[in-house]
Amino acid sequence: MSTLQSFLIVSALLFGIGLTGVLTRRNAILVLLGIEFMLNAANLNFIAFWRFGPNPEALTGVMFALFAIAVAAAEAAVGLALVIAIYRHARTANLDAVEELKG
Amino acid sequence: MNPFSYLEALRLAAPETALAVAALAVLFADLGGMRGESLRHRAILGAGITAVGGAMALLWLGFAPGYGTIAEGVLVTSPLTQLVKAGLVLLTLLVAGLSLDPRFTGHVGEYFSLLLLGTIGMMVLVSTQDLLMLFLALELTSLPLYVLAGFNKRDRASAEAALKYFFFGSVAAAFLLFGFSLLYGVAGSTRLPVIAAAVALKPPDALTLVALVCVVMGFGFKVAAVPFHLWAPDAYEGAPTPAAAFIASGSKVASFAVFGIVLAQGLGPMAGGADWHGFTTGWLPLLAVVALASMLLGNLAAIAQRSVKRLLAYSAIAHAGYLLLGLMALATPANRPAALAAILYYAITYALSTVGAFGIVAVVERATGSDAADGFNGLARRSPALALCLMIFLLSLAGIPPLAGFLGKFYVFVAATRAGDGSLSLFWLVLVAIALSVVSLYYYLKLLKRAYVLPPDGAVPATRPDVMEFVVIGMTAAAVLGLGVFPRALLEPLALAIQQAGF
Repeated sequence: MSTLQSFLIVSALLFGIGLTGVLTRRNAILVLLGIEFMLNAANLNFIAFWRFGPNPEALTGVMFALFAIAVAAAEAAVGLALVIAIYRHARTANLDAVEELKG
Repeated sequence: MNPFSYLEALRLAAPETALAVAALAVLFADLGGMRGESLRHRAILGAGITAVGGAMALLWLGFAPGYGTIAEGVLVTSPLTQLVKAGLVLLTLLVAGLSLDPRFTGHVGEYFSLLLLGTIGMMVLVSTQDLLMLFLALELTSLPLYVLAGFNKRDRASAEAALKYFFFGSVAAAFLLFGFSLLYGVAGSTRLPVIAAAVALKPPDALTLVALVCVVMGFGFKVAAVPFHLWAPDAYEGAPTPAAAFIASGSKVASFAVFGIVLAQGLGPMAGGADWHGFTTGWLPLLAVVALASMLLGNLAAIAQRSVKRLLAYSAIAHAGYLLLGLMALATPANRPAALAAILYYAITYALSTVGAFGIVAVVERATGSDAADGFNGLARRSPALALCLMIFLLSLAGIPPLAGFLGKFYVFVAATRAGDGSLSLFWLVLVAIALSVVSLYYYLKLLKRAYVLPPDGAVPATRPDVMEFVVIGMTAAAVLGLGVFPRALLEPLALAIQQAGF
């Protein structure tokens, strides 16, 4: 098994762990954490493909990862703000309590 | 590599720059001089600056359009992208016109600023051929939309809508990013033409297939297709009505345009087949399943809705299904120009009628205090003009001639029938779509029956739109009717632009 393959397996695992967290956790903050896992799995892919790819002198993979990190930070900021907004109404960050809209 | 020219970049991105300046100006004007003023005055100032920025962008797009490419496809402008961008700016201006009575918030400057930033995201989204820029633009579109959905801080439903929209959206974005990372691994580049060349070389392997599924999931969320639609009804219902109109119109047009660009230019060689008696690997069978599920669930679930905003959400899901049929027609290269013109015509006319319908919902909501369908009882007696416009929008959504919605459906179905070089391989889906369009007529007519046949319940206060709302609703109604009677007004520029863009 080549190094690239082991990197891909690690990133796939990371993505799977993140997705499991998103689907099973009921606390909004932990769901946010799961999403960060998934984004970082993709970042790991970018770095691995860049490092072991045919032309590492073009810095595409690194650049993509850097931008993705910045976007993830912005997304976390918006996400936390929305969690606070719901906390002000429901007095909890538990997603099971967020069920007013149905149909 | 050529040296990067900032002047050239500024020339190509001038419309976006105008909107960005307007976004900052709105923020500063509202924070600086308008603190003590009434909400109404602040909203008029905000919408005014938005209108000036939008008009500058439109003038630039119309009279001094710069065509070119920067940095090997990071920003590409062609007649086609400029035309779609003009449509997006127009939709934003219409939404701004519906936002002059912002009783849902005290943060007027931020509201218009986010509206403009979201529009910039959509405009960049349709004019790039690079996965990195595409991802950034998608996030620049999504983040303001999440915040706009939760803009009513006093209302629990609004916060809930925003949170659900955000969680579904960021999981979809994570899938999309993961898919992009795999595509980068397959092709060694983030440019769509290079990716197309790379996937054309070999039969699809596991890596490309996982990437494909991830990408379809990511975009499936943006266009609210089943099974990635769960956010849509809640977000439409809970969000402030003008914000919901924005989510339902501009973001839909941009998402479908970019989905089509990625499928046709980046993944074109691995389309596969969706003939009903033989699926072959690729994105066609994926889209076939998603389109079928969207049309079925959207149309059937809409029947049971009591909230008009939820009804519009499910109808949006159904329309996403019809539009996905159009995207599937892109798989046949010879069919591409006609299919793309049909998709854009459909998406733009659909967005116009949705903005108008949401405008009417906003007016009724203000009079009755909720968006329940009961509030529409006897609308024709309270306000005949509004009821007439509502009839135009709903019949256009149902696809009744001579309204634009009928021709949109017609062109999309024709394009889907012609896909596959005369083998009628998608004809089974077209038949399902036509059958379900008939179902959709039922729930649209049910709402119209409330407006025209049922008497008003008790003492309902007068239902009167303010001047700008009336202008927006009237203009969209006229556009839906006009584009239905004279479709060439939009189709001919579209066809010409698509030809010049080299599709």
